[in-house]
Amino acid sequence: MSAILEIKNLDKHFGGIHVTNHVNIAFKKGEMSAIIGPNGAGKTTFFNLITGFIPSDEGTVTYEDRDITRARPENIVKLGIVRAFQVASVFLEESVYDNIYLAALSHFRKNAKVFINRMAFKDAREHTEFILNKIGLFDCRDLKASELSHGDMKVLDIAIALTLQPKILLLDEPTAGMAPDERIRMMGLLKELHEFFQLTTIFIEHDMDMVFGIAEIIRVLVQGQLIAEGPPDYIRNHETVIEAYLGKEVL
Amino acid sequence: MKKIKAYLPWIVYFVFFLGLLVVNPGTHYIHLVSRVIIFGLYAVAFNLLYGTTGLVSFGHALFYGVGAYITGMLVKATSPEFFVLYILLGAVGAAFVSFFIGLLTLRLTGIYFTMLTLAFAQLVWGLTFKLYNFTGGDDGIQAIAKPEILSGGVTKYYLFSFAVVTICIYVLWRIRRSPFGAVLNSIRQNPQRITFLGLNVYKNQLKAFVISAFFAGAAGGLYAGLDGSIHPDMLHWPTSGNAILMATIGGMGTFFGPIVGAGILTGLEEIVGKYTEYWSFCIGVVVLIVVLLFPNGVLGIKKIGGSKNNEEKETEVVCNSGD
Repeated sequence: MSAILEIKNLDKHFGGIHVTNHVNIAFKKGEMSAIIGPNGAGKTTFFNLITGFIPSDEGTVTYEDRDITRARPENIVKLGIVRAFQVASVFLEESVYDNIYLAALSHFRKNAKVFINRMAFKDAREHTEFILNKIGLFDCRDLKASELSHGDMKVLDIAIALTLQPKILLLDEPTAGMAPDERIRMMGLLKELHEFFQLTTIFIEHDMDMVFGIAEIIRVLVQGQLIAEGPPDYIRNHETVIEAYLGKEVL
Repeated sequence: MKKIKAYLPWIVYFVFFLGLLVVNPGTHYIHLVSRVIIFGLYAVAFNLLYGTTGLVSFGHALFYGVGAYITGMLVKATSPEFFVLYILLGAVGAAFVSFFIGLLTLRLTGIYFTMLTLAFAQLVWGLTFKLYNFTGGDDGIQAIAKPEILSGGVTKYYLFSFAVVTICIYVLWRIRRSPFGAVLNSIRQNPQRITFLGLNVYKNQLKAFVISAFFAGAAGGLYAGLDGSIHPDMLHWPTSGNAILMATIGGMGTFFGPIVGAGILTGLEEIVGKYTEYWSFCIGVVVLIVVLLFPNGVLGIKKIGGSKNNEEKETEVVCNSGD
């Protein structure tokens, strides 16, 4: 397997604090990987740098042999790197269907059509229904997004991302604030979607059951630095990681 | 059934404005309703930015005024023969100006955007005052003639305005219901998500800004022909404020609301203005009542009822996600 996304010497500092400190990572194609680390380790900033949401100070991001370090966020999305958010980022006044349909319009490049009724696009409609079914939101497609439960709103956020048919899916704490049974459902869903859509999935997570349950590779960020990377068993017994983050009593 | 519901406002629109001619209440009232439809277009155009895209421009008088001045000045400089063309040129001119102003102002968000649009509009208002030889200063431009077919009797110009406004509003309506309109409506709700759908927020806002200014300019041009006179007040900030008031009173979340708002504002001025010169005080009270009791505007009242029901069934519906 070759690297689909390669981070080289990536650095971001605010004043004297390096939020991302000269990080080197090669994400392999088709890999399901987790990024863990204590609060303030720079995990979300790392996502913001990859997706072009904030500019980096140093280093390069290479995606499929293309330098995307300075690309605009919307263009990075078009290339196939899509994210879901820690706090579900959806269109609250719209129905579940319309949330996904808008993403489908963008995916099929129909978003700039000015004089045609927005519902007139069969490919976008079919794609929307496919996603709704695949992700299990079909039954509540007519509900407003604001009426969804917290867990379902997170699922909708991921559904919007998947509608764009990404190659790389970045998930920022997919189970944040969820009840235990919702977490288990989310875990199963992510695994299934990862395989079905043949994604390269990278997720930030604090729930260790989930991290050690589904990640093939775990990377540990502490104070902006990558201190360890490897398969779950390696990370579980990694002394610096235990000291810095996991704690002795956990595992 | 759903289809009929979508066209119902159009039926009401045609019945009201054409029915007026059947009732024929006299030239005074036809002139009054002419103002309502022209203001209505101005407000609906403004609402594409305000209610749909979520951009509070406090400088829309600029585009309304530029449209009016271009039309008026062209008629004065040449002949009234090409009046209709000049309205179009006024709209194009307003769109042209708005492109550059949008380019600058849309770099900012929220109140900063609002203040900067106000600053630009006031700047042009000030210039209109000072450049006496060019714009007529505080006298404005008087005796703007219309072509023969449109002059003589207020009804002719009413019908003409109604036709132009209807075409413009129909175009805006189609835009609102298009994928582009859906994008604008979603930018208001969550611009960050729009970026991460692979869309450029700034470009879409700029398009909305220019389209909105184009139709505001068309409304200004129409107004120049209504009384045959224009004045710098059209560019002054209260005219910008009126757009916000009309959209807010009528319902910024609805498409036709701003026309209702234009009707209420014009009607109040007419009725209360007969008794006291402090009619704007009355408008203030009405705005207060609307904002406090019907935050979604007059046409948005029904929608409040809907959301109340939703609050009652507070229990969250759980989907079968993950199955």
